[in-house]
Amino acid sequence: MIIRPGFLFSYHLIFIAFAVAFPLVNQAGNGSVKAVPVMMDRVSFAGKPIADPQGNFIGVTIPLKRAGHLFLLEGTVDNVIGNFILDTGSSGLVLNRTYFRNYMIIDDEEGGGVTGSTGVIARINVKRMMVAELVYTDVSADVTPLGHLENRRGVKILGLFGMSLLQNLEIVIDSRNNELNLFKLDRNGNRLGTPSTEVKFDITHKIEQFNNIMFVKVSIGGRILDFCLDTGAESNVLSIDVPRQALGTVTITRRSNLLGVDEGGGEVLFGTMNDFTLGTRKFGSMETILCSLTALSDKYGFPIDGMLGYDFFSQGKIYINLIKKVMGICLKPDERQ
Amino acid sequence: MRRSADNILVLFFLMTTFIGLAQFNPTNVCQIVNGRLTFTFDTRWTPAQRKEIGRLYDLDSALLAEAFAVKPVIIEKNNIWTVRRLDNYRIELSQTKNKSKGAEAGDRKIILLDDQWISLSAATDRESVPYGVNRLTRNSVVKISRDKVRFFLPGHQDSKNVFLSGSFNGWSTIQTPMQPSDSGWVVTIPLKPGKYTYKFIIDGTWANDSYNKLTEDDTQGGFNSVFFCYNYRFVLNGYTYAKKVVVTGSFNDWNEKELQMIRINGKWVLHLYLREGTHAYKFIVDNEWITDPANKITRPDGKGHENSFIGLGDTLLFSLKGYPDAKKVVLSGNFNAWNSGELFMGKTSGGWQLPYVLAPGNYEYKYIVDGEWITDPGNPYTVGNGEIANSFLSVMPNHTFVLEQHSDAKNVILSGSFNGWNETGYRMIEREGNWIFSLYLKPGKYTYKYIVDSKWIIDPTNELWEENEYGTGNSVLWVNP
Repeated sequence: MIIRPGFLFSYHLIFIAFAVAFPLVNQAGNGSVKAVPVMMDRVSFAGKPIADPQGNFIGVTIPLKRAGHLFLLEGTVDNVIGNFILDTGSSGLVLNRTYFRNYMIIDDEEGGGVTGSTGVIARINVKRMMVAELVYTDVSADVTPLGHLENRRGVKILGLFGMSLLQNLEIVIDSRNNELNLFKLDRNGNRLGTPSTEVKFDITHKIEQFNNIMFVKVSIGGRILDFCLDTGAESNVLSIDVPRQALGTVTITRRSNLLGVDEGGGEVLFGTMNDFTLGTRKFGSMETILCSLTALSDKYGFPIDGMLGYDFFSQGKIYINLIKKVMGICLKPDERQ
Repeated sequence: MRRSADNILVLFFLMTTFIGLAQFNPTNVCQIVNGRLTFTFDTRWTPAQRKEIGRLYDLDSALLAEAFAVKPVIIEKNNIWTVRRLDNYRIELSQTKNKSKGAEAGDRKIILLDDQWISLSAATDRESVPYGVNRLTRNSVVKISRDKVRFFLPGHQDSKNVFLSGSFNGWSTIQTPMQPSDSGWVVTIPLKPGKYTYKFIIDGTWANDSYNKLTEDDTQGGFNSVFFCYNYRFVLNGYTYAKKVVVTGSFNDWNEKELQMIRINGKWVLHLYLREGTHAYKFIVDNEWITDPANKITRPDGKGHENSFIGLGDTLLFSLKGYPDAKKVVLSGNFNAWNSGELFMGKTSGGWQLPYVLAPGNYEYKYIVDGEWITDPGNPYTVGNGEIANSFLSVMPNHTFVLEQHSDAKNVILSGSFNGWNETGYRMIEREGNWIFSLYLKPGKYTYKYIVDSKWIIDPTNELWEENEYGTGNSVLWVNP
């Protein structure tokens, strides 16, 4: 029996107060060793275009947070507060079913994946969504289970913030300062209101867009390859099916098996791209994982040779103008060669 | 001559060792050659080096042994490998067939690396350090009452909005707006004693508190400001002649220089954060070590001297009614690693009791009455079954699970991520037709279910749930900082 003086519980729990008592909180992780990559369910890519964000702004800076190698931005959807993963590899808005389960379903589609996060992707409408000064009303969103993402990263994930939410905006992803800068553009792709500040880019490169997903042409081992720009990828990905000349320039540094519910799982290779060139700039080396991108290519309706993820976006400040269809990069001082 | 021969031997040994080391570069042994995964091994590698290669490339020891034995063809469950000798030392292992599907960055995948996550949004454990003293050059953070702290950002009057973000609000970027004042931006928030990290967000841009010199690495190339919310004050009256007074104790490893006290109105004072628990301490007055004259609680230090002692936190009084004939009753639990010879209870007129300080948390314990382990008959909360059942105690619980209805159930268990989904875990008790169980939970996400007479159900009153790998659901609970 335990007794608490002052508060007599039915089981006689007593605390004698000497001073104050305080609960414990989480410890911050402090590791940096990469282990097994896991691929999480993402989006139905064929989302209907979302209207431009409302809100009284010409340019806005949104603070980014990090969870692992994911960029998070905080906002509300119909008064539910949480984080979105900034996901340029998604075409639209994807919401976590945990918090948006009771909405009326407009449409649905069978989903599934190797990691076991099976489920139906449904489409709903949310009334109002806010991220900093960006306000969206009557937004169409896919809803799918994302609880496993939360469980792996320990943060509340409302959903994935895809490209159609950023249409007609210049997007500047500044990984060094952890901020996302957005600027409204006119029909010619020039910033509204204020004259564009002349930025001296280390690299400028053409962007192509298909189904709202951004692609760039890169060169590896002298072969021209199509990579999508994907902030939702915690690592770069190189297709295992790219030509031998390209694969031959990659050093394999590790091999692992992907755990999944499918029979046999799958082999994942970790490596370093030693001959990666974007525009005229050759990158010294960039880490990547190597795996098949066949299914993703099928979904995009476009053959994909690779994905530029966190390792790429952490190289510097990335400017994306989808009206001018151009990308500019200001490399971090230590990345300049 | 003998010495020269020895030197040559040593040199030879060093050279061979060096050659061996120089040839082992674990990141340079694997490439894809003509579409085939190809390894180049060196027979001079040590067993440890071979093991390292096996670990890095997920090659099991049997496969490696056969490869080093140059077995021409090796058949695994999903792979067929060929082996050939390249020269005297080098062996090539080449994957000729891979029957496994291969990892697929499939049609709806978001790529995650399953590393430990490092983040600006990482919560700081406010009790992660035993003590702390602030280093503010201006009162940018001030404790204004017992549980309220005011944060102040001078200037920036032209900014449109300023937010405070830190470990106290889960690093939310939108939940703690600061209010403009005539000289800057200000916000007052409730804080419990402890350590906190924070930043300001000025018009969307992260900024440090330039008046706070106490910082720590934010793991992203920058730093966070650190603030300690104080809960204790050391005071030494008198000694006004002294030039320097230091407080030292078990909390700072008896550091003799670090915590200098300040002379205020005829006494020496030091405010600080001190983690709850029991602390031994002394004052050092101009190099002379003294106990606290105002504190009667002293205990031997084992070296012929005495130390002063303070206890911070709540003390629980464990008690066991009856057992008047018992010779010895011991308290044992996971809080003392189930030590059965440490916490001897004292005999009272009605039974046995022992005061003991415990930090907020969830604990299991038993009494040992003359060698016999028993659960606490006065505590209805237990975990486990039969002989492995323990009494359960939650100190400062912050969430109560309530299962309504099911009043006719015989047995209801609470199981979730907080106890490793233990099926014999927390046994709920019935109160006024509901089943309840209180827990102390750290901030974060928890998933859970109830097991009602062996049937798993989600919490019918919690609308938050998520799909699980069994095709059913788990209830979801978020505990805020």
